[in-house]
Amino acid sequence: MKLSDIMANAGLSIYAEVALVLFLAAFVGITWWVFRSANSARWRSAAMMPLDDVHPQQPRTGEK
Amino acid sequence: MTGSGAVASGSTAPTSAVLEEFSYDDAIVRKFLFATILWGIVGMLVGLLIALQLANPKFNFGIPWLSFGRLRPLHTNAVIFAFAGNAFFTGCYYSTQRLLKARMFSDVLSKIHFWGWQLIIVAAAITLPLGFTQAKEYAELEWPIDIMIAIVWVVFAVNFVGTMVKRRERHLYVAIWFYIASIVTVAILHIFNNLSIPAGAFKSYSIYAGVQDAFMQWWYGHNAVAFFLTTPFLGLMYYFMPKAAEGPVFSYRLSILHFWSLVFLYIWAGPHHLHYTALPEWASTVGMIFSVMLWAPSWGGMVNGLLTLRGAWHKVVDDPILKFFVVGITAYGMSTFEGPLLSIKSVNAVAHYTDWIIAHVHTGALGWNGFITFGMIYWLAPRLFQAPLFSKKLAGVHFWIGTFGILLYVVSIYSAGVTQGLMWRAFDETGRLSYPDFVETVVKLLPMYWMRVAGGSLYISGMVLFAYNIIKTWQARPAAYEVPVVRAAGLSRSYVAVPEPKPAGEGIFGWISAMRYHRAWERMPLLFTVLVVVAVGVASLFEILPTFLIRSNVPSIASVKPYTPLELYGRDMYIREGCFNCHSQMIRPFRYETERYGEYSKPGESVYDHPFLWGSRRIGPDLAREGGKFPNLWHVRHFANPQEVTPRSIMPSYAQFATTPIPWEVIPKRIDVMAMLGVPYGDAVNNGVAMAKAQAVLVAADIAKSGGPAGLEEKEIVAIVAYIQRLGQDIKANAGGPK
Repeated sequence: MKLSDIMANAGLSIYAEVALVLFLAAFVGITWWVFRSANSARWRSAAMMPLDDVHPQQPRTGEK
Repeated sequence: MTGSGAVASGSTAPTSAVLEEFSYDDAIVRKFLFATILWGIVGMLVGLLIALQLANPKFNFGIPWLSFGRLRPLHTNAVIFAFAGNAFFTGCYYSTQRLLKARMFSDVLSKIHFWGWQLIIVAAAITLPLGFTQAKEYAELEWPIDIMIAIVWVVFAVNFVGTMVKRRERHLYVAIWFYIASIVTVAILHIFNNLSIPAGAFKSYSIYAGVQDAFMQWWYGHNAVAFFLTTPFLGLMYYFMPKAAEGPVFSYRLSILHFWSLVFLYIWAGPHHLHYTALPEWASTVGMIFSVMLWAPSWGGMVNGLLTLRGAWHKVVDDPILKFFVVGITAYGMSTFEGPLLSIKSVNAVAHYTDWIIAHVHTGALGWNGFITFGMIYWLAPRLFQAPLFSKKLAGVHFWIGTFGILLYVVSIYSAGVTQGLMWRAFDETGRLSYPDFVETVVKLLPMYWMRVAGGSLYISGMVLFAYNIIKTWQARPAAYEVPVVRAAGLSRSYVAVPEPKPAGEGIFGWISAMRYHRAWERMPLLFTVLVVVAVGVASLFEILPTFLIRSNVPSIASVKPYTPLELYGRDMYIREGCFNCHSQMIRPFRYETERYGEYSKPGESVYDHPFLWGSRRIGPDLAREGGKFPNLWHVRHFANPQEVTPRSIMPSYAQFATTPIPWEVIPKRIDVMAMLGVPYGDAVNNGVAMAKAQAVLVAADIAKSGGPAGLEEKEIVAIVAYIQRLGQDIKANAGGPK
């Protein structure tokens, strides 16, 4: 019995749906997290990063 | 760490932060900038030459290494990997250091990356015209150069990751995410698509064959567009657009969604290059659906880029840099609108194999990649050379002739594509093909090909002005560049995040919505990289593995046999000359295709094709069933002088085939490698040369007997004729079709 026969008979097609659900959940999770108002301050500071070549926007101390 | 010292400071940070001193490495950025301009001009000039060759075959000059089939891959490789590649590195080295507040990890690795990459380009510029090619689009370079690319890419990756590790900015800005995704995905694509077994110093055979090779190739090919020409340039856009507009990106949130959506979706889109081919239909459908989904994030990204100019639109009027960015981002929007459209099967049925695809690509390449590069370099030049831009006015002229050049190019080539696509499928009132003679559908395009030459020339003229402007700016540089010293606190390993205010009603949902784990990911570049690899890898495996592992996807056909040793050598000539750049070997299951070319192509017919040669463009007719259509002598005459046989043909002459001797000694090694790959060669493994010579004598005798030149049995012409005569013959012998 060849590997291709084993794979063909292993009933793997359900995993396509599993992957779909997992990936969709990941996407929905990211979207939710991105649009949470609690995060808006850090997005504002992140967006300023290209504009300052010298000062880190979020340095080690975590004050910003 | 280069040039770093440490001074204690109590002023900026209340904790015991120590400010480190460092400087950014701009010398490497300047190197990449010059390489971008140099290779841009070279790559575009080659493009102009091949555009002339299509308008008039005389521009092949009868010189084999200047023929279209060999130069077309040189053009694509030069503009993608040399021009756009160096442009990406220019912007990446400049922005990464500043976004991470750190000098590159190692100046030595930066230099190895730069010189290694230029060496690869030179190697490509020498080997491609010599006919050393793997016959896979944008992956033509042969195995020794592929290994060099892999090594240099790893050097780049190590340097990049090292810089992330020693960065002084906790959050990785979204441009960095785009760079990470590009670096890791290009590495994966390059390695897996180029797996091959060498059969000589500059000759190898893909380990995949037929359907599987096609699938790997277009998984690679489309993602080369995605992860070499799109995501790196989006990273550049998210850095340089705010710089030029002097304000933050319109929506940082949207940029995160843009990023993850592209990473999740792009990798699946490849099969839309293989609609209606022998690829299993489910794969083609998956590719189409994911491509259509790409509409949303692509346009979200385009809007995000353009709206970065909110409140600053008046600046566009007199700033050529912003003009380049606006048109560049608009071109991104247009080509990512058109891409999903072309991936829809019914649209693709008209567009596939025509110039429509060439026009689509050039909207993206000339508009998006070119204009973002120009805008970026006009912005960078005064800063890198510490002198004002030589002439803003000249930059404005560049913008207008570049834009007009693009319009002229794409309008003519869109018309050419639609015209030819419709002519191929036209039937007259008696139900016969309206244009049975393929060459009629080519001659119709020639005026548009001349218009393309004009448009391309304008674009290149702009490129020359650009080079002049930048060189003049460079000449005004100070005697020694000033290197500003930057001071910033380093990231501490023992850093403990300040606890965030707990949202009201924290429970399981609160925990999920806070997504603390994702916030940790962003701060851990290596883990982040792994997650991107997982997203890309899982998608690739789910899509590609079934064609390898599930037998029913590629049904075999009993009557399909390997090529004879002589035919195999002829096939290698077909690869060497780049015939696949103009001739497909894949007949789609449409009546207008089967009427013109014969029975549609089956997956089982190309199981021994290492590599596959299905092609992607029909500048000449499909050859999948060319075998037996014309006598041997016809082919001998046709190769010697195509216009003598087909008066208005634009095919270059291959008269040298009749005088070049076959190097018999290469045949045994090639058969060995084929046998190693599982092609059932049997006796030919020990007997290859004798079998090849015997067949050559028969072909040569037939040519002489029908009134052609005698004494061809040692010449290459008999091998290529034997190969062409074999094409598509195997299933005619078996009228029953697939078993």
